[in-house]
Amino acid sequence: MAELIKIFEYEVIANDFNIAGTASSAIKRNLKQLGISPVIVRRVSIISYEAEINIIIHSNGGNIYLEIYDDKLTLRAYDNGPGIKNLELAMTEGFSTASNAARELGFGAGMGLPNMKKNSDAFKISSTEEGTKIDIDINIE
Amino acid sequence: MERAFYLDKDKCEGCTNCMRKCPTEAIRLVDDKAAINDDKCIHCGECIRVCPYNAYNPLTNRKDDISKEKFSIVIPSTAVYGQFHIGTEICNIHRALLSLGFDYVYDESWAAELLSLAVKNRVSQLKDIRPIINSNCPAVVRLIKVKYPALLDNILLIESPMEISALLARKNAKELFNIKEEDIEVFYISPCPAKAISVHKPVGTEHSKIDKVISLKEIFGDLIREMKMQKDICFSNPSLKGLKWTVSGGQCEACEIDNSIAVSGIENVLNILEEIENGKLDHIDFVELMACNESCLGGQFNFENPFVAKNNINYIIKTTDTSTILIDDLGRFDEFEKAGLFNMEIRLTDNGNAGLSLKAAVERLDRVEKIWKALPKLDCGSCGAPTCRALAEDIVDGFATIDDCVILKIKK
Repeated sequence: MAELIKIFEYEVIANDFNIAGTASSAIKRNLKQLGISPVIVRRVSIISYEAEINIIIHSNGGNIYLEIYDDKLTLRAYDNGPGIKNLELAMTEGFSTASNAARELGFGAGMGLPNMKKNSDAFKISSTEEGTKIDIDINIE
Repeated sequence: MERAFYLDKDKCEGCTNCMRKCPTEAIRLVDDKAAINDDKCIHCGECIRVCPYNAYNPLTNRKDDISKEKFSIVIPSTAVYGQFHIGTEICNIHRALLSLGFDYVYDESWAAELLSLAVKNRVSQLKDIRPIINSNCPAVVRLIKVKYPALLDNILLIESPMEISALLARKNAKELFNIKEEDIEVFYISPCPAKAISVHKPVGTEHSKIDKVISLKEIFGDLIREMKMQKDICFSNPSLKGLKWTVSGGQCEACEIDNSIAVSGIENVLNILEEIENGKLDHIDFVELMACNESCLGGQFNFENPFVAKNNINYIIKTTDTSTILIDDLGRFDEFEKAGLFNMEIRLTDNGNAGLSLKAAVERLDRVEKIWKALPKLDCGSCGAPTCRALAEDIVDGFATIDDCVILKIKK
């Protein structure tokens, strides 16, 4: 059984592009300081950045949790709704429901979720009107 | 030799300017004087640039080091061509170098033209790596090694125009002048400390093909004097494509890579590397990253303002009579490429924290966080560390104590 060593928690505020990237930057900095291998850091950076931007663009806000185990990292992105209507479609590359305002900022290319899945070792997503929950494992052994 | 510059301790006032500007937090104040950590220093020279007391000085070879016994080749960085009054012919600069005692001048722009082809080919072949990062700014390569090791695989493993110039210049000396390898000595006129140190401690090849480096500032006065004595006009023979490498964005242009971005200046480079690490630039084919503003024209060993120098270089590109240009080694590109002449390796160094177990590393981080919370977060630098966070790390690692914080002391 994997031993949990530490949990980091980051709050992500809906629609606030001023601080977009703050949580993923902090995650990246912490992982680098922990001496996690560069390749893993890069994968987590990509995942956490996508997760953070998704919460900002699409949700009513939420949290990102990074759990450090002795053999893996678990990233949980939990938001407070309104949920993804069609999960299967959302997992398709190029599909996007992002607003024009978000697209003008260069976001919303429809690669977020597929990209996150591609970079993870285990990927779980569930969504209701109360919120979307994404649980991702990245092995470090 | 650790660095191509040194700190004159008598001039250092312990003002913290360099410490706070250092992109890798490599500087601390020790006994009120700046001290550089060689494991973290990327030789970008920002400290030289920001020092209000000119306490950092170049540490390179001098004119007197040109040996009479050896066949001395000199390669001026193409940035050198931007340092003189607009309209100055490159060939007059070359003549001035010869009058200083060099036997042969090799024009770096030709190596850059050859490499333009090599880069272009390589970028289109390596479709799986995006974006590809240029490797000709040694400060950027070192920055990636120290701060962004996950991006090492993105670096294009092609040697710099500086090294290829030295290789071709040696070949020419042997083929054209019948000189033996052991009788050749190659000098480089460098615009910056990063390239200068690369001769002694290369980021790529095992041994640099260059033997000695002179900073442009060191030799600038002599060149001006020699050029004033020249009466006749001569015709320059540069590669116009290669000269473009001197200005920011020019490498992208010369290599004909359309989907590319050019970034110059250390802070801009740091920002873009963060973006690349976040996977935001995977749709870009090539990024040209140069540590100095306005690329090599912004190097700290240059004399002229980089924007003025850029105009000088562009003037040369616009007005050179192409009918007089001789094509040197270009015809042999395929032969060179096949022989692996352009290839480069990057040697890896160990990561700082690699020795700690994950559990110990988490405990260390927790202690850093705890101490940091107690610090004033002014990032004033009075303690001798660049930020409160850096001080917290230094305390945990045993290099400082909480008493070093001046603000906390006053509050007590």
